Amino acid sequence: MNPQPTEFVSEKRAGECVLGLRNATKVFGGTVALKDVSLDLRSGEVLALLGENGAGKSTCVKLLSGLYKPDQGEIILDGVPVELTSPLDAFRRGISVVHQHPGLFGDLSVAENVFIGHMPVDKFRRLDHAEMQRRAAELLDVVGLDCGPSVQLNRLRSSEQQLVEIARALSAEARVLILDEPTAALSQREVERLFSVIQQLRTRRVAMMFVSHRMEEIYRLSDRVTVLRDGHHVATEPVSSMSRDRAVQLMVGRSLSGMYPTKDPQPGEILFEVSELGLGDVFTDVSFAVRTGEILGLSGLVGSGRTEIARVIFGIDHATEGTMRLAGTRISFHSPSEAMAAGIAYLSEDRLDQSLVMDQAILSNATLPTIERATVAGLISVTKELALVRPDLDRMKLRFRSYDQPVKTLSGGNQQKVVVAKWLATKPRLLILDEPTQGVDVQTKAEVHSLIADLARSGMAIILISSELPELLGMSDRILVLREGRVMDEMERADATPERVLKAATDAVGENGSCASTDERLAGTTSLPAHQEPSSSKPSSPLVSAIRRLLLKREFGLVAAMAAVIIPVAAINPRMLSGPNLTALSMDAALLIIVAVAQMLVLLTRNIDLSVASVIGLSAYGAATTLHAHPDLNILAGLAVASGIGLLCGLVNGVVVTVGRVPAIVVTLGTLSVFRGVDSLWTGGKQISADQVPQAWLDLTTGRVAGVPGLVFIAAGVLLITGFVLRSLPLGRELYAIGSNPDGAELIGIPVKRRVLGAFAVAGLLAGFDGGLWASRYATIDARVATGFELTVIACVVVGGVAIRGGAGTALGITLGALTLLIIRNGLILIRVDPLWLEGVYGLVILGAVTINLIVTRRSQSHRRRKLP
Amino acid sequence: MKRLSWLATWDSFLGVATIGLVLYAAVFVPGFATSFNISQAIAGMSEKALIVLPMVLLIISREIDLSVASMLALTSVTLGMLVQAGVPLLPATFIVLLFGGVLGAFNGLMVTWLGLPSLVVTLGTLAMFRGIGYILVGSRSINQFPDALTDFGINNVGETPLPWTIVPFLILAPLFSVVLQRTPIGRRIYAIGGNPDAALYSGVKTQRIRFRLFVLSGMICAIAGVVFTSRLANARANNAVGFELDVITIVLLGGINVFGGRGRLAGVLWAICLIAIVRNVLGLSRIGGDAQGTVIGLILILSLLLSNSTNLVLDHFRSLLSRSAGPRPSGREPFSSLNDHTPEQP
Repeated sequence: MNPQPTEFVSEKRAGECVLGLRNATKVFGGTVALKDVSLDLRSGEVLALLGENGAGKSTCVKLLSGLYKPDQGEIILDGVPVELTSPLDAFRRGISVVHQHPGLFGDLSVAENVFIGHMPVDKFRRLDHAEMQRRAAELLDVVGLDCGPSVQLNRLRSSEQQLVEIARALSAEARVLILDEPTAALSQREVERLFSVIQQLRTRRVAMMFVSHRMEEIYRLSDRVTVLRDGHHVATEPVSSMSRDRAVQLMVGRSLSGMYPTKDPQPGEILFEVSELGLGDVFTDVSFAVRTGEILGLSGLVGSGRTEIARVIFGIDHATEGTMRLAGTRISFHSPSEAMAAGIAYLSEDRLDQSLVMDQAILSNATLPTIERATVAGLISVTKELALVRPDLDRMKLRFRSYDQPVKTLSGGNQQKVVVAKWLATKPRLLILDEPTQGVDVQTKAEVHSLIADLARSGMAIILISSELPELLGMSDRILVLREGRVMDEMERADATPERVLKAATDAVGENGSCASTDERLAGTTSLPAHQEPSSSKPSSPLVSAIRRLLLKREFGLVAAMAAVIIPVAAINPRMLSGPNLTALSMDAALLIIVAVAQMLVLLTRNIDLSVASVIGLSAYGAATTLHAHPDLNILAGLAVASGIGLLCGLVNGVVVTVGRVPAIVVTLGTLSVFRGVDSLWTGGKQISADQVPQAWLDLTTGRVAGVPGLVFIAAGVLLITGFVLRSLPLGRELYAIGSNPDGAELIGIPVKRRVLGAFAVAGLLAGFDGGLWASRYATIDARVATGFELTVIACVVVGGVAIRGGAGTALGITLGALTLLIIRNGLILIRVDPLWLEGVYGLVILGAVTINLIVTRRSQSHRRRKLP
Repeated sequence: MKRLSWLATWDSFLGVATIGLVLYAAVFVPGFATSFNISQAIAGMSEKALIVLPMVLLIISREIDLSVASMLALTSVTLGMLVQAGVPLLPATFIVLLFGGVLGAFNGLMVTWLGLPSLVVTLGTLAMFRGIGYILVGSRSINQFPDALTDFGINNVGETPLPWTIVPFLILAPLFSVVLQRTPIGRRIYAIGGNPDAALYSGVKTQRIRFRLFVLSGMICAIAGVVFTSRLANARANNAVGFELDVITIVLLGGINVFGGRGRLAGVLWAICLIAIVRNVLGLSRIGGDAQGTVIGLILILSLLLSNSTNLVLDHFRSLLSRSAGPRPSGREPFSSLNDHTPEQP
């Protein structure tokens, strides 16, 4: 009944160590993430890795998966120390990892995501689509994802994407499987499916590691348990000999006495309360109140929703249900600045990305929200600036050289002090602290704790979000425990124990405790409604047809647009449908399509090439002048010269972008002028006209086969080859991957720089080739050839559905885009609209097409995007 | 203080290069060291120098405006048409300024309200605004202007070689410098460019500021349009084609970081002088427009390659000093505050 994963194979005897850490230490900046940790994964066995947030579990996973290298100690594979140079290296050695947050490629299909980096090819080195679909379908069946392998990944919700990630990990012949919190996003049924897969792998003697905070799962699944605490290895024992209570104790372990400021809380009135607050399926039915002078602790593990609640309170996100009241008045903030004006401050948990501008000075960072108060006659006064924050910085004993020092150079603890000072300067009534002492040394921790206690004493209401139990228990007057978006438990300080908190947070069942959550889980109702739908992936079939409808819409829309122009114009001026006009139109389209293909290749990788038109001009002249000087040469030599020039230009662009690391927009803005200037110098103000080149050259494009100009066949050939490469060569799919997720592509091991360089080179080649054809068609060539044409090209690709952000675009789309654009132009010309107006039309077309693309993309992803500012 | 000292080095380097070029030109390029030529060189840079000012603010805040030259042309055309219709000069100028603001507001709305990347938006408006110019006057040129305007365009200040056309820039430049370095709004602009999320979460009204920067760009381009019209005494739809290359080159050459959040006006001022002299010397050496563009394009690319390599070295230093987290992905896009938000791992 349950399909079996066929790819896993292991020659190990059961119980032999396959992969392990030996005395591994990893340090980030000032923080020791792992210290002298040893553990091993044995074949046919599941090792569970337990620990609180910050214990080092994630670092272990990253070391074993090849993402980091240990600073000390080593990684052992098959008994031998190895160096894993990259995740791809680990993958190739048989280590598969299911990450907590999949780094997949939204623009690629499910099957492609599963196999990217190791796609099955047939004997001609072409992508074996059928094989890929078949194997993907098998794997999807194994993990229980009911969706077609050709569905685009970003149509799936996060739980489904997690399953794709699991399928990807299963797709290689791995001997080791590491799962990092794989069930966090999954429903009960999906979890059961995963478990049966793991059992199968066990019989195939695969070595597995399972990182999770769900005790129930750990006790069902694992053979041995390793507990980490504060980056140290605490214990490794068979699961049968470790009771759940003991596991919790080992995780928590510290003594609580003496480290925290004594308090005699005298809370005042209720300052802030929330009632049945909810945000989509992130959290729901959350109610609590905070009094002045009180510290309310929010506890819970990753995914419990604590930070999300804070973000809603602070106006970053907007609640979908429930109410908030500040000092009795109902409030709703639409932005952080509104929340700040009301006296709320939020110290984010993500110091690097959300709290500090790393390159800027201590003083600038600390006064950012309150800088208005430090002005004299509108100008910033350094004296007043210092007065705003110095007292708090001194109080916290900030260690620094000067106030101008960039915060980047401070230690984590000192950086945090700057952040705290920043928020204190806003004189808040309610202060929300999210992991205030994360990544902070012991000394600073104590200082921060003492400060928090002082603030509470002086009447500030404080919400303290912390994953560190001792901190939470030592500082809070009351504690709220959240799990998966719901309030699980609420307790006064006197009743709070680490065990009670951790149990509520992790659904750990005590020997004599009942846990309603287990029953709920088995009935499939624990997870919030969205996760619960077993057939949440089923809608992908209607989803698939919805996608088809969408795609058809674009093509249909373009055809309709063309008809909308052709019909009225032909009525007014029947010349539109005449032979000569259609011929000219088709040849224009051919020239445009070839260079649009070039632009598309570059755009796919999330770059841009503004210099294509200049390349056309330069190579057109190159071809013309070559044939003018050597009329006896084969006319193909002209094309060769042109293509060669284009290739050279493309390589220049590519090298400066990849090796020089200069953004493509800037490079090609420069080369646009450079190439045009070279063209100008070369032509020296002269031109080459039709009678100066061999007739055979001119006939290359205008000569007809069966009434169709040769140029059209050439363009068709280019399109077919491009379509083939993009669809049927792994290299082509990799281009899409690079544009869809450049960092993910690097991690997977795609040679990004080489591919991007290649894209620019081929783009140059095609532009040069186009220039040769241009010279053949237009005969008269001077330095002004194709000036401004880059705008037409961009309009064409945008209309044709190529994403400026990369990752999307098709040969068919470009064809339709080119035809639509040129028909619009042709129509306007035929009804005597001034050709000069065309530039404006192209601009409008670009804006319109990009807007439409945006609306379409947003609408199709709105069901899984949370609104981020 | 490494960052500040690097900037100081770059500024000094630019200063030395500029002065060096001046000396070289004074000796080896005939016709350079005359009062007339100096005056021409300065005048020729009047509009670009103006446009550089809001462009600096935009690039610092991680946006870009490629439509500046088109806004200049369109406002120039509008001024011509208003004057032709008999509107007195001062009200016409005022209307044109407002119109520039409207154009900028269009850009700003597309970026803030629709959330489109400014690169694409201004690429589109680059074409659209110029197209509107063509619709208004076709390929004609409006040549009749009040004396007040043309005098402004031709005359120098008193007996100096300083043309009147550079005066608007001379007035605005110190203003911009002060605003950027010494006012709250300047701080916020740097913050938006340095870390848009941190700025937002610190209460900075990021969208409003971005919108206003685009409006400002439009209005300054309108002033530049007036100056251009007065200097050349004509209004055509194809005025100022290709200005954006010079403007962006000057800004990036002047030390404004292409990824936003860093840079000062001081270096940019040197860059303005340098590019002005380069163009002037090339012109005196009978090198035409397209070839001049080649040189400017090369300067753009080379200056970025140079600053990249020095930045790489400095970043390496900085990364050795302190890190509070593990290795971070390097995917930075220029002119885009719309980076994907990837969820952070604990």
